[in-house]
Amino acid sequence: MAPSVQFPGNVFFYLIFVSALVFFAYSAYVRIYLLLLGKPDLRLDRLWERIVSFVPLVLVIWRVIRPRYWYSGVLHLAIFWGFMTFQLNTINFFLEGFSDDLSFMSWASAPWLAYFPVMQAFEILTLIGVVMALARREIYKPPRLSLNWDARIILGFIGILMITDLFAVAFQIAIEPFSHSERAFFSNAMAETFKGTDVDVLKAWHTTFWYAHLLDFLLFLNFLPYSKHLHIFTAAPNVFFRRLQPTGVLQPIPNLEEQEVFGVGRIQDYTWKQLLDGYTCTECGRCQEACPAYNTGKELSPKEISHQLRQQLLVNASDLLPVPVLNINVTGERGVPLTEAMGFNPIWDCVTCGACQYECPVFIEHIQAIMDVRRYLVMDEARMPETAQATLMQLEQRGHPWRGTPLGRTSWIEEMGDVPMFDGSQEYLFWVGCTGALSERNVLTTKAIVRLLNQAGVSYGVLGAEEGCCGDPARRLGNEYLFMLQAQQNIELFNTKGVKKIIASCPHGFNTFKNEYPQFDGHFEVIHHADLFAQLVKQGTLKPQEALAQKITYHDSCYLGRHNNLYDSPRRIVAGLPGAEAVEMPRTGAQSFCCGAGGGHMWVEENPGKRINQERTEEATATGAQIVATACPFCLQMFEDGIGAVPEAAEREIKVYDVAELLDMSVAPASAVPEAAKADPPQGQSEEPVQQ
Amino acid sequence: MLHMICCVKQVPDPETPASQFKVDEATKKVLPVPGIQPVPDEYAILGVEAALRIRDAVGEAKITILTLGPEAARDAVKHALAMGADEGVQLTDAAFENGDSFATARALAAAIKKLEPFDLVLCGRQAPDWDVGVTPSIVADILSLPCITRASNVKVSDGTLQVERVLSDGFETVEASLPAVVTVSNELGEPRYPQLKQIMAAAKKQVSVWSAGDLGVDSSQLGAAGSLLSLDRLYVPVQDVKCEFIEGETPEESAEKLAAKLREEKLI
Repeated sequence: MAPSVQFPGNVFFYLIFVSALVFFAYSAYVRIYLLLLGKPDLRLDRLWERIVSFVPLVLVIWRVIRPRYWYSGVLHLAIFWGFMTFQLNTINFFLEGFSDDLSFMSWASAPWLAYFPVMQAFEILTLIGVVMALARREIYKPPRLSLNWDARIILGFIGILMITDLFAVAFQIAIEPFSHSERAFFSNAMAETFKGTDVDVLKAWHTTFWYAHLLDFLLFLNFLPYSKHLHIFTAAPNVFFRRLQPTGVLQPIPNLEEQEVFGVGRIQDYTWKQLLDGYTCTECGRCQEACPAYNTGKELSPKEISHQLRQQLLVNASDLLPVPVLNINVTGERGVPLTEAMGFNPIWDCVTCGACQYECPVFIEHIQAIMDVRRYLVMDEARMPETAQATLMQLEQRGHPWRGTPLGRTSWIEEMGDVPMFDGSQEYLFWVGCTGALSERNVLTTKAIVRLLNQAGVSYGVLGAEEGCCGDPARRLGNEYLFMLQAQQNIELFNTKGVKKIIASCPHGFNTFKNEYPQFDGHFEVIHHADLFAQLVKQGTLKPQEALAQKITYHDSCYLGRHNNLYDSPRRIVAGLPGAEAVEMPRTGAQSFCCGAGGGHMWVEENPGKRINQERTEEATATGAQIVATACPFCLQMFEDGIGAVPEAAEREIKVYDVAELLDMSVAPASAVPEAAKADPPQGQSEEPVQQ
Repeated sequence: MLHMICCVKQVPDPETPASQFKVDEATKKVLPVPGIQPVPDEYAILGVEAALRIRDAVGEAKITILTLGPEAARDAVKHALAMGADEGVQLTDAAFENGDSFATARALAAAIKKLEPFDLVLCGRQAPDWDVGVTPSIVADILSLPCITRASNVKVSDGTLQVERVLSDGFETVEASLPAVVTVSNELGEPRYPQLKQIMAAAKKQVSVWSAGDLGVDSSQLGAAGSLLSLDRLYVPVQDVKCEFIEGETPEESAEKLAAKLREEKLI
């Protein structure tokens, strides 16, 4: 019998039960009210997919149990399922607290008794999980974690919740065993050891543990809203309402021209879902561990971004709410502009590679949160690094980001001659891209692609001088307005010319055409050249024949891989080269490490710290590969620079080629070896005069 | 209230790749390159930046943008308005076309006169189309105003003008009374990036268009008719680079041969 059913226990029970619920309702009201201040964002598309994926993503916490983080996975699974199973017991605990007649035992004793051993097993499991979690925090201390009292308190609450229940049941059995009390196997065994103790002493212990359990539960419940462990409530909805589009997509600003503010300058300018991201972040730091900016000593930590989402919302809550706000466990500073709270440098450090979002177990959308502030800085305050400003000015005035290029859009066409212009009669538009046309190194890739297209008899045409910028740099640099104009202009041009299918050689253009133009009603079938050529090789239309007996490592472009799930095609091209030996870098596929050029960083000065491309080049060099293969013009340039900066890479004269160039070298007859290969004359035939 | 007039200009993109730059020798015209649009002259935009900085410092001032050129030249005015200038005036008339620095200066001076009262005229040090760089000085001469060229810093306080100007071997600071004409050099720094709200506001702003008649200047003084210079020939110079290696058994022998060669070419 619960000690709360008799006077004075019942008064005490009712008092703390009601006050705990009232306080919890207040905390929940504050948080829900704040959430609803956010801008609307309907997240109910593909409802069936959301419902089905709820099982693996929430119930099996699939993204928490990644092989790399197996320890965290196991302990989370133990605590999560232990805790969930335990909740039936909590319901019973309160029912029993009101009256014995309400308890499951009195009206559903058979299922309740069947549940008993399961519950006790899960309580033990939870305790194991809690010990594992404490060991990780106090002994292993992985640097990605924020080690603070918050977690200790929460783990303490959970641990005590289990221990007090086990003891309370044990003392109850010791006082008076109920029928089948052996099913509470653990408590039953504990009760054995209390045999012979005075009944009054046992009763006193039972009362103590019962109230300890009650208080622990209610305190835990009321502490949660003030803790980063609020994810216990918010993770499930956060996963359910996640964005189902590719992570590389940025959202448009609706009715841009009528907005008062552009981007996010105040915390309440975020959408409700972005604010929910803030509530949901547990600061596990997996995002930070994957972030190329953070890992090369920049100020940005994606963990800090989502941490600030919550801190800024709560610390400014009293200015946003009609009721007084109790702020406990909030570290932010009130009234500070959001741009300061997030930090100017961190906002500009982001390369939009998406590694953070790939790692996040609860689908927090860091990129959009960062880009929203970047938009505000650029469009509202016109505040940005000098190089970003110069790039945007260049894009605005000249329609491409390559300031000072000695090439025109048609220079490569004039050099090659006989390149078909797109007139609507061809199947594909080959979009060359600014970099493919205007950067001398990348023109070599463009020419290789054209040779392969010709060889395979693909029906295609190019736009020549009519080509503009796809808009990716403007959008990633925060100038949504410029992006919108560029996108609308291109869509109009494509529609006028009768473009249906596009071959893109740059993953950034590829992503923009494929995933972002539909936002402006531009619907085209877009294929990246690596995909197309892999198909053509498979069909036998293109036949690699020249041997390329080299060790080759393929570097995943973020906008091809993580953002668009295209991992295999470029690898198949490399694997199909006669004699080539493909090797992988440790960080590969979905866990690939950015080259450093995403998010407009191809043209924006990197903040102090190690250069990202250097870090990646070192990784590529360590594989022993002689050739780094890419499928992105930016990655290619970043590696060219990186090789110069990494002594071992320079010494071994590691080369970087686009997969199209490698394929071209192998497919083309020896007489047509591309310039990229010719640029490196065999030793002993140097044309340079011998100096004295 | 301080009134500043900034002269801006839309020019063929000075960063047009050399391989794409072409002229028509017969008509003596620079040919537009497909896909490459004209851009605002960056020096002139720095003049606007200088005016905006003065306004930021003194608190209140009116900035009028003035340009001479065809319809398309309005982009430069719009850009300056987006940066924060208040009003725009564009001089467009067939009579203005093909003028040299003198003819253009007469039109600009007349327009500036019409915009009276004004305190300061700011121009770029030279436009990258013809790189002549004398128009502002002629404007000052016509208006009988002091002219300070190649400014790296411009300040106005208590009705006087302080200008730091760039010399070949350093800087000098000069003072002048207002009104005056100042030309601005790249040492001033970076021009500001327009805020989107201002870009949108600028797009809606009306730019006044004045013809030769509005200025009250006789058309014989303007455009090709009023020019003192005439263009004889326009061509892209052919640069011929010949590289020759001087061989020799010893460094002394190589040097001797090199000296003989240089003398032969009448270079020493």
